[in-house]
Amino acid sequence: MRAVENALGITIPDNARILRNLISGIQYVQDHVIHFYHLHALDWVDVTGALKADPAKTSALAQTISDWPNSSPTYFKAVQGKVKALVESGQLGIFANGYWGHSAYKLPPEANLMAVAHYLEALEWQKDVIRMQVLLGAKNPHPQTFLVGGMATPIDPNSQNAINAGTISAMLGYAKKAQDFVEKVYIPDLLAVAGFYKEWASIGGGVANYLSYGEFQKDTKSNTTNCWLPAGFIRNRDLSKVEPVDHKKVTEDVAYAWYKYSDDDKKAKHPWDGESTPNYTGPKPPYEFLDTTKKYSWVKAIRYDGLSTEVGPLSRMLVAYASGHKRVKEVVDMVLGKLGVGPSALFSTLGRTAARGIETLVTAEMLPTWINELAANIKKGDLKVHNGDKWDPSTWPAEAKGYGFHEAPRGALCHWVVIKDKKVANYQCVVPGGWNSTPRDAKGQRGVFEESLIGTPIADPHKPIEILRTIHSFDPCMACAIHIVDSEGKELIKVRAK
Amino acid sequence: MKTLLVGLGNILMGDEGIGVHVINDIKQRYSFEPPLEILDGGTLGLDLLHFFEEKDDVVIVDAVNFKREPGYIDILRDDEIPSKINAKLTVHHIGLSDILSALKILGKTPKKITLIGIQPEILDMTLDMTSVVKERFNELIELVINELKEIGHKCVLLSPQK
Repeated sequence: MRAVENALGITIPDNARILRNLISGIQYVQDHVIHFYHLHALDWVDVTGALKADPAKTSALAQTISDWPNSSPTYFKAVQGKVKALVESGQLGIFANGYWGHSAYKLPPEANLMAVAHYLEALEWQKDVIRMQVLLGAKNPHPQTFLVGGMATPIDPNSQNAINAGTISAMLGYAKKAQDFVEKVYIPDLLAVAGFYKEWASIGGGVANYLSYGEFQKDTKSNTTNCWLPAGFIRNRDLSKVEPVDHKKVTEDVAYAWYKYSDDDKKAKHPWDGESTPNYTGPKPPYEFLDTTKKYSWVKAIRYDGLSTEVGPLSRMLVAYASGHKRVKEVVDMVLGKLGVGPSALFSTLGRTAARGIETLVTAEMLPTWINELAANIKKGDLKVHNGDKWDPSTWPAEAKGYGFHEAPRGALCHWVVIKDKKVANYQCVVPGGWNSTPRDAKGQRGVFEESLIGTPIADPHKPIEILRTIHSFDPCMACAIHIVDSEGKELIKVRAK
Repeated sequence: MKTLLVGLGNILMGDEGIGVHVINDIKQRYSFEPPLEILDGGTLGLDLLHFFEEKDDVVIVDAVNFKREPGYIDILRDDEIPSKINAKLTVHHIGLSDILSALKILGKTPKKITLIGIQPEILDMTLDMTSVVKERFNELIELVINELKEIGHKCVLLSPQK
């Protein structure tokens, strides 16, 4: 959508900019909380360990770190009862995939119980706060209201079926609920858990280059650099310098990927010239071993300025921190201070997980600002959500090229489009999961996941929870996570054994 | 009486989308009294949670790996569901068993859950279902309608079977 807007030179109305910011904003908050509690926490929290906790001591612990009201001994006793019933029924359900009792779990029983209680609370919380996304985007996680030129979410203070004063006040309510939970539950939990795993501040760092396209536009220009979370590229962990982003520096080769380029698989192409012709040359599944000296991945080798580059909340927070973003700097320094570590701790598995929490907090704090911007426009009588000047293809040039930057919750995402004779001649997407799970390139540089796993200590090769911790810290989508646990996890053990 | 009929699956992946195709067909061709909620659950995971809460009956249509021949149909009820589909066939099954266990620990499990499943043949990037699954399409619809009648809905056919 932004790629087409860029190709055709479309400026969106201010309300569309705000609505897009709000949808992205609430998506960051809900997505990150779910990631932390429901996908990542169990790498650090032993659910079965919660059974050994003393509810009174758990209550005391919870009350030291936060004034969140659900913290009585009775409350934690009830949660413990639920977990016990679940363990005894033999149907662990959501908890079924854990490595319970693994020696790498370090939390005391009380911290385990507290985290499990909040795991359950977060389940309830997420379905309420996401209603904001549903009001504006119609469906989560795949909003239906975005379209080239703006949004399809009507604004009309005199209609029941459009954004009106009632919607604004409901959204302010959801935003408050979102912020409260993040401030009083997520951040205190993150700090409490991280305190027991400080060694992870020097594990899982990876490739040392970080990219953010910038998000939450402050003006309506296509791919503006005027964003609340800034765009930038950080090279080799040098926080003293943030380079401006140039989409032309993004390239892909397929030396180790199951695709065929019409000229040379090793020659990196910019996405406008990109090709995606599948060419599977691997063994017939199911297989035990993948030969990584040959093509071994369905992901192309995505590079920025020729370098393997990490994307996601850590990249965004590093770029914001190094650019002097006031609020990000305050929260990053607060978290580092509480954990008693320096900024270099950010380049790690723990840093990645902390950065996601930091981003959630600062984004949740911004939600009311955007809602109020929208309310102010409505008050002025500005109800426009869509610019239809270029809706009719007869208004298009014979040939046009565009790119569209977006920072999805999981990281930098860009689409490139080539339009010829009013038709799409080429369309390439380079997505966050691709950046982070990219394989080696023609020069032999390892991808982001690959590099981050080098040197990970593993207590039990048959239960590589340590690998899960690092891979999960990138927040690959569930589908990817499962795939990776099976294949890459085993492969790493082979690498280490050499 | 609060009933939810939900089709799960990814219509871009061949037989995987059978659940969604079935509920879409039912939605177009039937009317129900009392009315019920019909939902295309797609491949959503935890986002489906609030649709399941506070329901008396939930009827799910989905592709299920029964480890049987393609086209094999079976009905799983309540506690049979999470344990029987533990061998995960596709991503969204994690979603389904996640939702069911989340409902359980939150104490919000619907009174009755019925999963009408069919063994898929091909899960690949295609909009078409295989003929072996397509041949049993009407049978699946009949099973769903019977289930809804059992629950107490009057099912009125608006337009004839394909």
